[in-house]
Amino acid sequence: MRRIGVFVCHCGINIASKVDVEDVTDFSSRLEGVVVSKDYKYMCSDPGAKLIKDSISEYGLDGVVIASCSPRMHEHTFRGVAEDGGINPYNVEITNIREQCSWAHEDRGEATKKAKSLVRAAVAKALLLEPLEKSRTPVTPEALVIGGGIAGMQAALDIADDGFKVHLVEKEPTIGGRMAQLDKTFPTLDCSSCILTPKMMETKNHPNIDLMTYSRVISVEGSVGNYRVKVLKKARYVDVDKCTGCGDCTTACRIAGHVPDPFNMNMGKRAAAYIPFPQAIPLKATLDPDHCLMLRFGKCGDGPLCVKACEAGAIDFDQKDQEIEINVGTIVVATGYDVLDAGKLFEYGYTRSPDVITTLELERLISSSGPTKGEVVLPSSNEKPRSVTFILCAGSRDETQCTWCCRIGCMSALKHVYLLREKLPCETEINICYTDIRSFGKGYEEFYRKIRGVGVSFFRGRPSEVRVSRKNITIDVFDTTTNKLFEIGTEMVVLVPALVPRADSEEFSRILGLSRSGDGFLLEAHPKLRPMDTFVNGIFVAGCCQGPKDISDTVSQASGAASRAAGILTKDELENDPLIAWVDPEVCVGCGVCVEVCAYSARKINEVTGIAEVDDALCAGCGACIAACPSNACTHRNYTKQQLVRMIDEVV
Amino acid sequence: MTRYALYPGCLMPTEQYGYEVSLKSTLPLLGVELVELQGFSCCGEPLKSINQMLTLTLSARNLAICEKEELDILVPCPMCHLALSESKSILDGDAKMKERINSKLSGEGLEYRGISRIFHIIDLIHDVIGLDAVREKVEKPLSGLNFATHYGCHLIRPSSLGRPVDPENPQKMENILEALGAKADDYAEKLDCCGAPLLPVHPETSLTKAGQKLRSIQEQEFSGMALSCPWCHKMYDSRQKKAGETVGARLSVPVFYLTQLMGLAFGVDGEKLGLDLNLSPLEKVLDREKEVTS
Repeated sequence: MRRIGVFVCHCGINIASKVDVEDVTDFSSRLEGVVVSKDYKYMCSDPGAKLIKDSISEYGLDGVVIASCSPRMHEHTFRGVAEDGGINPYNVEITNIREQCSWAHEDRGEATKKAKSLVRAAVAKALLLEPLEKSRTPVTPEALVIGGGIAGMQAALDIADDGFKVHLVEKEPTIGGRMAQLDKTFPTLDCSSCILTPKMMETKNHPNIDLMTYSRVISVEGSVGNYRVKVLKKARYVDVDKCTGCGDCTTACRIAGHVPDPFNMNMGKRAAAYIPFPQAIPLKATLDPDHCLMLRFGKCGDGPLCVKACEAGAIDFDQKDQEIEINVGTIVVATGYDVLDAGKLFEYGYTRSPDVITTLELERLISSSGPTKGEVVLPSSNEKPRSVTFILCAGSRDETQCTWCCRIGCMSALKHVYLLREKLPCETEINICYTDIRSFGKGYEEFYRKIRGVGVSFFRGRPSEVRVSRKNITIDVFDTTTNKLFEIGTEMVVLVPALVPRADSEEFSRILGLSRSGDGFLLEAHPKLRPMDTFVNGIFVAGCCQGPKDISDTVSQASGAASRAAGILTKDELENDPLIAWVDPEVCVGCGVCVEVCAYSARKINEVTGIAEVDDALCAGCGACIAACPSNACTHRNYTKQQLVRMIDEVV
Repeated sequence: MTRYALYPGCLMPTEQYGYEVSLKSTLPLLGVELVELQGFSCCGEPLKSINQMLTLTLSARNLAICEKEELDILVPCPMCHLALSESKSILDGDAKMKERINSKLSGEGLEYRGISRIFHIIDLIHDVIGLDAVREKVEKPLSGLNFATHYGCHLIRPSSLGRPVDPENPQKMENILEALGAKADDYAEKLDCCGAPLLPVHPETSLTKAGQKLRSIQEQEFSGMALSCPWCHKMYDSRQKKAGETVGARLSVPVFYLTQLMGLAFGVDGEKLGLDLNLSPLEKVLDREKEVTS
């Protein structure tokens, strides 16, 4: 006969205010198999743990029932306490009398009755619990980082510095990401490329980093410690070993100056052969298969001009996409963000006037490597604007578009005001229509104060409409500080659009098995306490793929994710949770139904014995195979049918 | 012929006759049979801020009258259209409220079931009849004319309810006018309010709103204005002179109902379109029409 101890927690008043804890303790002491029953104010505290440990030795317990909060909170704690006390940690049963009892009910009498019933069922199960041992699997000491922006580079560098090999996969032909498109960064006004390019160089030269640009992750299998990843390396149609990055092909190209340039937010035009920007890494040319005449039609005038221009003979139209398989122990996802299509905001006139632009477009106009070589001009006339008006929260904090704050719009607009004051004549009128200025970071508020002093009119209100007439642009805005309706005439409008998840984020999250929050960004395991973890063990998130954030926060999160990832790689082996499926070899007929239903590829039919097996490392204990098994050969350890039926018997 | 119950509302049969006359002489040409039912009451919209139950009851009653005949309902007045649509949306989503309202209607032997669909002339022409059918009927294209469209607030908002046209960028009237051979350029003031809601309490502001928009349309040299709301028409057509005086401008903008312009393009006689009932100076458009046809 088992010797069970029952420990009932007050959780301060969280449980005790609605459940008569003493009564539950007294009741449980009389249950079959229970030799001791105690209550305590905070069972998860040190004295609480000591109470359990001491009781184990004093009463010779071999099973423990804890009536407290959800097992999500403290299952781990109490299993550890039991192990310290000398019993198998899986001989602990937790019953939730807080979330599912005291918090959910009003009536003290009824809640107490329910708590008793829950404890009774838990004791019945504890009598049948099996001691379990953890199995172990070896760890592949390499990491995959997806995305080569500032987040991905930082994570890759940190893991590589810790001594592990890192595969960095970037879908564009160069690393650098969004930050490479920026001219200056707030609030310090550091030149973006000046602080970014050293990181890019470091990433390229690091002996532990295997850089895969112009590549995509197309499938991920396996589990923490051992992921098998397929990467599609797209054909550049340029032999990177021969290409010197001289750029001759980009000027020779027959359609040079005709292809919209996404790096310049389609404001400038490039050739079909291109190097995205002068500091690109790797500094190699790429042929754009959507525009290159040879790749589209197999013919380019009387012969491709890039081939003639390339002294190194690097152009190769026959190059094919390549599929590469890599094995890694852990993955950091840093795939970044997209900007809301401003055309969706019809009322703001982006589709009606070329002089309504977005922040990233202005960024490219300001940048000396941009389409105008740093001249800020009106796209319609190439003249300097005499007035510029910023509209903040374009699509952000808006129930019809994106409900969230983009967290960078206010500061980026303030930065642009500063830069425009440098670039444009002093009589240029600058206006900002804002919802409220969110200057929350270190040094941000000080920067805001500084900008208030450089001559800019602030209107607190969301414009109802940007009117584009044949003569001019006017903005209607109701200023809530003066309670007046203003009509602002302006030559240029800069929309500060919402940040949105990458267009392919749904497909991508499916490849990785990650969840997304309601806004579509990748979901962290806990918003406060596990902000870099995901619900998939061994996969971490960094940067804007998890939600909008500025560069400082992105880098912090990237380093955090890198350290979480490296933590796994430092281990030779990982322990597997033993609470998983188990197949009774005497009963299994090898029909294979479990193999089909398993979402984690944890099931296979042993070729020799012909019966089903469970891969301990891959099984997540979801229970799908148990429900599906037609011959009842499959059970979930410590959630056996016998145990569950006994629990139900006790409750009803 | 597709049959629709015509819901006249209060303004059309009491002063905006031109709207009623013109739609009755044009829609049948497009295969629409307009059925006049007995017993309609006020749509309920003017009472909404005082007694919403009464609004719901009145709207439901009007719809129930159509449902008895199993007819969809054509509501040319956007304000009535909003009242009926909003009530329909409330009743279709709230079984208890429907029961309550129906207990009030049962005395008259009526029941609201939620089967009649509600149309305005714009979505009826644009989405149901289709622009191809409109094009086929055009005998005298309105070529060379460029109209400033005005939709009116009730037709575009609240967007959450699902209105006949897009709230930010309505284009259906433009498309219909293009099918009639005219142009309808967008203009910056397109969505501006006509001012009618303010008229009883703040007449000067109300007339200023109307005057500003008309002045701007005149400055941009549109041939005229096309609209489909009797309230807005009242502001821009009947009160044009007064609105002009308020903003200090000599206004002469021809203002038409969309159905009147459609009638002109279909070759319907001006008298059957109620053109003589419009108070704004239509000559600029009509004379040009004559020139083109002669």
